Amino acid sequence: MSATRAETAFLSYQRTIGLSTMEGRGFYYPADTAIGADEKLYVVSRSLEGDARGVRVTVCNPDSEYFGTFASSGEEDGQLIWPTAIDIDPDGRVFITDEYTNRISIFDTSGDFRSAWGVSGTEEGQLDGPSGLVLDGDNNVYVADHQNHRIQKFTSDGQFLLAFGSRGDGEGQLNLPWGMTIDGQGDLYVADWRNDRIQKFAPEGRFLATYGSPGRGDGQFHRPASVAVDPEGYMYVADWGNERVQVLDPSGAFVTKLRGEATDSVWALDFLRINVEEAEARARANLEPKMDFFDDDPHDESSHIEKYFWAPVSVKLDSAGRLYVTESNRHRIQIYQRG
Amino acid sequence: MTESNVALVAHLMRRAGFGATRSQLEEYVDKGYHATVDELLHPVDPQRMPDEMIRRYHAEQSGMMGQNSPGAYWLYRMISTTAPLHEKIALFWHSVFATGYTKITQGKVLIDQIRMFRRYGLGSFRELLVELSKDPAMIIWLDNQDNHNGSINENYGRELLELFSMGVGNYTEQDVKECARSFTGWTIANTEYMELRARRDSIWPYGRIAWHFEYREEDHDDGEKTFLGETGRFNGEDIIDIICRQPATARFISRHLYHFFVADEPPVPQWPYTPPRDPAAIETLSRVYFDSSYSISAMLEALFKSEWFQSKETWFEKVKSPAELVASVLRLTGEFERPRREILDTAMHIVYMGQHLINPPSVEGWHQGVEWIDTGTLVERVNFASKHLGNLDAPGVRAIVERIKSQLGPMISPERLVDGCLDQMGAISVSPESRNVLIQFASEQGDLTVDGPDANGHVDRRVTDTMQVIAATHEFQRA
Repeated sequence: MSATRAETAFLSYQRTIGLSTMEGRGFYYPADTAIGADEKLYVVSRSLEGDARGVRVTVCNPDSEYFGTFASSGEEDGQLIWPTAIDIDPDGRVFITDEYTNRISIFDTSGDFRSAWGVSGTEEGQLDGPSGLVLDGDNNVYVADHQNHRIQKFTSDGQFLLAFGSRGDGEGQLNLPWGMTIDGQGDLYVADWRNDRIQKFAPEGRFLATYGSPGRGDGQFHRPASVAVDPEGYMYVADWGNERVQVLDPSGAFVTKLRGEATDSVWALDFLRINVEEAEARARANLEPKMDFFDDDPHDESSHIEKYFWAPVSVKLDSAGRLYVTESNRHRIQIYQRG
Repeated sequence: MTESNVALVAHLMRRAGFGATRSQLEEYVDKGYHATVDELLHPVDPQRMPDEMIRRYHAEQSGMMGQNSPGAYWLYRMISTTAPLHEKIALFWHSVFATGYTKITQGKVLIDQIRMFRRYGLGSFRELLVELSKDPAMIIWLDNQDNHNGSINENYGRELLELFSMGVGNYTEQDVKECARSFTGWTIANTEYMELRARRDSIWPYGRIAWHFEYREEDHDDGEKTFLGETGRFNGEDIIDIICRQPATARFISRHLYHFFVADEPPVPQWPYTPPRDPAAIETLSRVYFDSSYSISAMLEALFKSEWFQSKETWFEKVKSPAELVASVLRLTGEFERPRREILDTAMHIVYMGQHLINPPSVEGWHQGVEWIDTGTLVERVNFASKHLGNLDAPGVRAIVERIKSQLGPMISPERLVDGCLDQMGAISVSPESRNVLIQFASEQGDLTVDGPDANGHVDRRVTDTMQVIAATHEFQRA
C-alpha cells in the first residue's frame, strides 16, 4: 500500500470525546482506555499528583453518554496512585495496573472492587512498575514489568506463569516497556519505549520481530507508549514522544501518520454553551497559529495547537474498526475510523 | 591535589552550581580551577534526566496546568544536570525578572520563560532583554497586552527600567512613557481568549493552551520618541539598545551578579542609597560588560576568576536560597536517580522554606540573603536536610558512609569522624566554634569502631547522626 493513498484514506477522523475535569463527567490526565461490552469505554485518569481528586475510572461511550465513575486516589483496596493501564475480560472484570503501588487492582464493571494482587521486587512474579497490561484469550494477564525491563504473565488471580525479556537493546530485550496488545494469533506486541521500537513475541515469550527505529521520520518512533493491531495485522502505534500516531502494515512498512485533528466534544460544547464569554472569545481566536519553536520537540508545538495530539498515551481498536487515541495532556480521546 | 584546591573548587561549585560530592570535586581539581570555570560556562554535551523520562511518570509535569509541577520539574533538572550553571543562571534571572503564577495561572508558559532564561541567560544581555520583552508570561504579568498605540500602559516600560536594567534615579517619568510607547504592539496571540482563560483559571475544554508572542504593527506607535536623550522613531529593540549602552545598566547588572554569586547586597530598592559592598568589583564587572558587548558569560568568567570571588572571606557568607538548599541536599543523597512520585512533596519543601518557584511574591522577586532565614524557615531547612542526610537507603548517603568507614576505620576518633563527614559532604570548612560543637556531639559516644559486623546498623547510624548535625551548622546552610 502506498503511503500517499494511505494518508488520505486509511483512517478518517470521526469525533472527539472528553473534557478536562477533576471529578465526574470528563477525564483528568487519562492514562488508558479499555473497551467493554455495549461499546462502553473505561477511561482511567491519573490526575494531578498531590491532589486526591481526579484519580478515577470514567465510564462513557463514543456518543459521549456518561455512566459514572469508580475508584479513587490512595493505597487502600479499590484505590490507585499511578494508574497506567486498563483492560477488561469477557466476564466484565476490569484490570488496572498501578506502577506506584506495584499492584493490579480488579473491579467489576459496576465499579465494585473485587481484589488486588502484586508484590514489589525483582524476583520472578514480583513487580517494579507494572505499566502496560493486556489479557489473552484464556484470561491470563501480561504485565509490562517495566522497571525490571521484562514482560510477566500471570493468571487472572495473580499466579505467576512466565517471564521474558531483560534490559538491553538486542532482539527480545527491553528497556522500560509500556503498552501492549495481543493479535488474533495470541502474539504479543510491546511498545519498547526507551528502545523506540515495537517488538513482537510469541505467547510464551519467544522473540518474533521488531518494527521501527529511533527518530522522527516516517516509520521511526520516539518513545512509543502503546500499540494496537487490527485483524489484518496493521499496527497502530501511539508514537508518544513524537506526539503522533503511526500505522505500519503487517510487514512493518510505514502506512500513514496522524498528528491529530480534535474538535469540540459534546461535553466541551456543553461547557461552552454555558460559558458564553469564553465561547465567543474562543470562536474569535486562531487556535492553529503558525509559529517558530525553540527546537524540534513536537511536545512544544502540541502545547500551542489544541487540535494536535498532546501526550497520546494509548491506542485501542474496537470491533467496528474505530481507533481510540487517548491523550493525557488534553484530557480527551480522538476517534478515527478505519477506511 | 591540595586540600586548599579542593576547598576552593567546593566554593565555586556551591556558588556556580548546587555543590558537589567529594569525588566530583576531585575530578574538578584535576582539571584545574580555571578549566572548571570554563566548563561551567561552556559545558560540552551536558547530561541530565531527560524530559520524556520525567513526563512519562509525572503527567502534570508534562501538561503543567497548575502551580506546583513546574517547581518539581525544575528540581529534577537542578539535581540531575551536569551543567549546573545553566540552572543557576535561570534561577538568577527568575529572581531578577520575577514573574508569578498568581496572574498567569498556568505552569507551561512560566516554565517556557525559565527555558528562555536557560537559553539566553549566559549570552548577550541585549538579546536576553529582547527575549524577555517578547516573553508571553512577562507580557501578561506586566500588562503589555494593554499597552496600545494612543493608550499606553506603562507597567512593563517602567519595570524594564526600574527593576530589569538600570534602577531608579537613572531615567525620568517621560522616559518611562516613551519606553512604553516603543513597546506598543508587543503582545501575545489570541490576547482576548488567552487573557480571559488566565483570569478565569480555565482548564476547559482540553487543558491549558500555551501562549506565544505576537507583534501587531497596526497597534505600534511608530511616532518619534525621545528616550534617555536620544530621538528617533524607536521600537522596542531600539529602546533596549539604548538601555544596554547606559553605564547605569552595567552597574545594575553587575551588582545583581555580585549579589547572587559573591556576597549579599541589600535589597534592590536600597541600592540608590547604599553603595555597593565592593565598588571595585562592580567596576570590574561593568568594564567587562562593555568590553564583551554585554556578555553575561564574560562577566561571570571575570567574576569566578577574580580574587574577590575566590577570597575565603566570601566563603559560606551567602545564605542558600531554599531551592539551592534542597537541590544541594538531593545532589548529595542521590535519591532521585529515576523519577519518583516523592519529588512533588520534596519540591514543596522549597515552598515551605519561603520560595515558591515560578510564583515569587511580587515583581521584585524574593529578598535574599539572611531574609531567607526566620525561626520557622530555619527549622524547616534543618529538618529537611537532616531527614534526607539521615536516610541510609539513599545511595549518596550510603556511599558517604561506606567511604568514611573504609577510609577512616577501623577506629575513628570523634575528631576524624567530624572532619571525614565534612569532607565527604563537599569539602565543607567550618569555623573552629562549629567544629568544636560537632566534635562535642560526636564525643558523646566515644571512638567509633568499624571493625567487624554492624548487625544493628550502629556504626552507620553514628555516621549519619554526625551528618545530620552538620546539616544544622551555619556553614551547611550557606554557600
